[in-house]
Amino acid sequence: MTGRSCIVRSLVLIGLFLIGTIAVAQTPPALEVSVALSQDTISMDEQAVLQVMVSGSAQDIPDPRLPTLPMFEILSQGRSTNVNYTNGKLDASVTHRYLLIPSKTGVFPIEPISVVMGNRRYAGNTVTLTVVGRGVQTSDQDENKGRDSDGNSRDLFAEAVIDNNNPYVNQQVTLTLKLYVAVQTYGSPSLVEPTTTGFWTELLGTNGPYQQRLNNRTYRVIERKYALFPTKTGELSIGRATFTATVATKRQNRRRDPFDIFGMLGGGQEMQVRSQPLTVNVKPLPTAGRPGDFSGTIGRFTFKATPTKREVEVNQPVSVNFAITGVGNIKSVAEPAIPDLPDFRVYRASSNESISKHNDRIGGTKNFEEVFIPNRPGKLTIPSLSFNFFDPQAERYRTVHTQAIELEVIKTEGYVASPEMPYAAPDNVISSDARDIRYIKSDPGDLSRRAEIVFASPIYWAVNGVPVLALLATVLVRRRRERLQGDVGYARARQASKAARRRLARARKLASEGASSQFFVEISQVLLSFIGDKLNLSPHGLTTDKIAQLLRERGAEAALVNTTLEFLKRCDFARYAPASVGEDDISETLAEAEDLMVRMEEVRF
Amino acid sequence: MRTMIIITAMCLVTASVAFGDTPNETFLQGNAHFEARHFDSALQAYSQVLDQGMQSAPLYFNMGNASFRSGDLGHAILYYLKARRLDPADPDIISNLDFARRFTSVQMEGVALNPVSSLFESIVEPHQLTTLAWLLTASSFLFFACMVARFGLGYRNSIVRTGIYNSLLLLLVVATLTTVKFDYDYLTQRAVVIAETAEVHTGPSELSDKELDAVPGLIVEILSESGDYYNVLFENKRRGWIKKELLAVV
Repeated sequence: MTGRSCIVRSLVLIGLFLIGTIAVAQTPPALEVSVALSQDTISMDEQAVLQVMVSGSAQDIPDPRLPTLPMFEILSQGRSTNVNYTNGKLDASVTHRYLLIPSKTGVFPIEPISVVMGNRRYAGNTVTLTVVGRGVQTSDQDENKGRDSDGNSRDLFAEAVIDNNNPYVNQQVTLTLKLYVAVQTYGSPSLVEPTTTGFWTELLGTNGPYQQRLNNRTYRVIERKYALFPTKTGELSIGRATFTATVATKRQNRRRDPFDIFGMLGGGQEMQVRSQPLTVNVKPLPTAGRPGDFSGTIGRFTFKATPTKREVEVNQPVSVNFAITGVGNIKSVAEPAIPDLPDFRVYRASSNESISKHNDRIGGTKNFEEVFIPNRPGKLTIPSLSFNFFDPQAERYRTVHTQAIELEVIKTEGYVASPEMPYAAPDNVISSDARDIRYIKSDPGDLSRRAEIVFASPIYWAVNGVPVLALLATVLVRRRRERLQGDVGYARARQASKAARRRLARARKLASEGASSQFFVEISQVLLSFIGDKLNLSPHGLTTDKIAQLLRERGAEAALVNTTLEFLKRCDFARYAPASVGEDDISETLAEAEDLMVRMEEVRF
Repeated sequence: MRTMIIITAMCLVTASVAFGDTPNETFLQGNAHFEARHFDSALQAYSQVLDQGMQSAPLYFNMGNASFRSGDLGHAILYYLKARRLDPADPDIISNLDFARRFTSVQMEGVALNPVSSLFESIVEPHQLTTLAWLLTASSFLFFACMVARFGLGYRNSIVRTGIYNSLLLLLVVATLTTVKFDYDYLTQRAVVIAETAEVHTGPSELSDKELDAVPGLIVEILSESGDYYNVLFENKRRGWIKKELLAVV
């Protein structure tokens, strides 16, 4: 081979490789859609799983488009992905699972389910699902309830079971819901309770989780039981229960998260499973042998009567507890009929019930408290009472009886044979020993308007305020007295006006006696003593300059200071020239002195 | 002859009621009906006195008797309770209330009553709130008199000091009893079951579970209300919701 031909050959190979690569790159990866049903035929009580598997060499396989299926309720059960790289070749598949719950019977072909990718549509095969009526045995129905149609065991499924699908009305039917879980779940599964229209329902309890082997697989089983009492005859339905659980998703062919040591960081996927609906055919109670006073109670019961005492005085009450105990719908137990008893007045006091759950059976005790009041003394008997019920196990009516109760009724002092008024002298009757009500009052008493309560009365609060005010007043008086005794300055200041008034009266008297010289001495002393008392100073040491200074220091007005000084000067002048002073001057001086003292009261000494 | 007299008396009573009588006269007419064993008419007459805005312990007492004789145990106990509130010490009222309540001797399982509150209530039960309130005022006067002697007049001897402590103790005791009585009579709203059948539910709706069956004459404490229902507390401390129309508030 020459060098040139070798070059040409290499270029051709490179060209072919590039063309091939481009061609491969431009061809969309082929997808394959495969559709399968878990069962081809199901009954209305069942549900089928539709599995859509999309496989191909693409990395991002789109979700399939489901056709409209109005005759089914469709619940997604999640998807699983499988990706393989073998010799550089990608091989992926995504499986989607849908739960189909039929709403009517018939043959329903399911149109091809398709996937669109790269402007191309890939359609799957057509499958047909046949739905038959309730209770019809389908060919696919098998005992291996944990398997799907491929024989693979299910990870999660629910089951509803009743112990009796043909009970009598008001007979207990036990409904058991079971959730089987074979995979890891997060949290506790939630439950939407089944509808039980036509039943009185009582929850018996929840058991588990416990383990159960099924199809060579270990399931954790959670069980919830209900006691159902059909309230009417005919066909009654128990709806589906729906469990929702968060299931750990599988991560296949992926690199393990180095931080996910225990596999706890894997994502969870919510899955719903539903139990199948159930039908109960309730039959009526047989008419043959039915007692005339039958009240509809079903079960198995005992009947017991217990008096509080066996010896009683006339017209004294005796309580008798009638207890009906057994297995059955204890709430529906009717009060036992008490016949007319001429020797007793009978009052129904109360009833109560205690419900117990034993071995998945509802039972308990219903107590009826009756009060018997004997009308006459002697040996009286509360007769045996009967109670009827239907025993579903024996399928016949039964009657149980109480023992008759013998009472020793004692005749009391003052007893007269009257059912209403056994006492001639009601005043002799004391509280708890009373045999009858005391007679009406003839005096209406103090008939008054509906009064307010005492705490709403202002008089009450006024009266209650008196001691508080008295305490405050005496404390204040005492404090003042103590201060007057202990604080000379305070005492002089408080007494200044009073002392001044006394001196003024004396000055007035001197004026009336014509002693004008002594009058002016006194009136001058009145003012000096007043100022001295107010300032706690001796009036003998007070000069006009000192007075002016002290008054100014205490904020007296200049006019008041000047007037005071002028007044004192005039008094001094009049003392030494009394002949120049007339009667009018004396009156004016008196008035002026009073005015000055009034004005000085406003000065803060 | 006797029947004629009764009929004539009834006619006179009816006529006088129609023309308007004093409350006292209407009360006596009620008594006449009662003595003639016309308990419904007696109740009607007594109710007229109430309608005139008047009340008294004997009036409620007689209404209780008329209700009891009519077989209306719930209203009988209601009226006896009202009578007892006005005159707690009247032995007739206590006796009849006690007697009537025997017919509601329900035996429901319950919680033991608080012994302290029971003791206080048993002490204050025979007394009127007004009596206790004025007793509180008297205690207050005594206490403040001692305080005035000590702090107003300056007496510091042991007699005054002991007087302050003792009168303060007395004041606190009487104040506590008065508060308990006020709470018992006025702050706590009570009611009596008056319906023949009264279902008590766990919630304020007929759809709620039934808690128990109440019977006429049971006394309950009203805790709250919601719509047509009262949340009530029975004397044995069981709670539940009961329709308002099945109760009469005391």
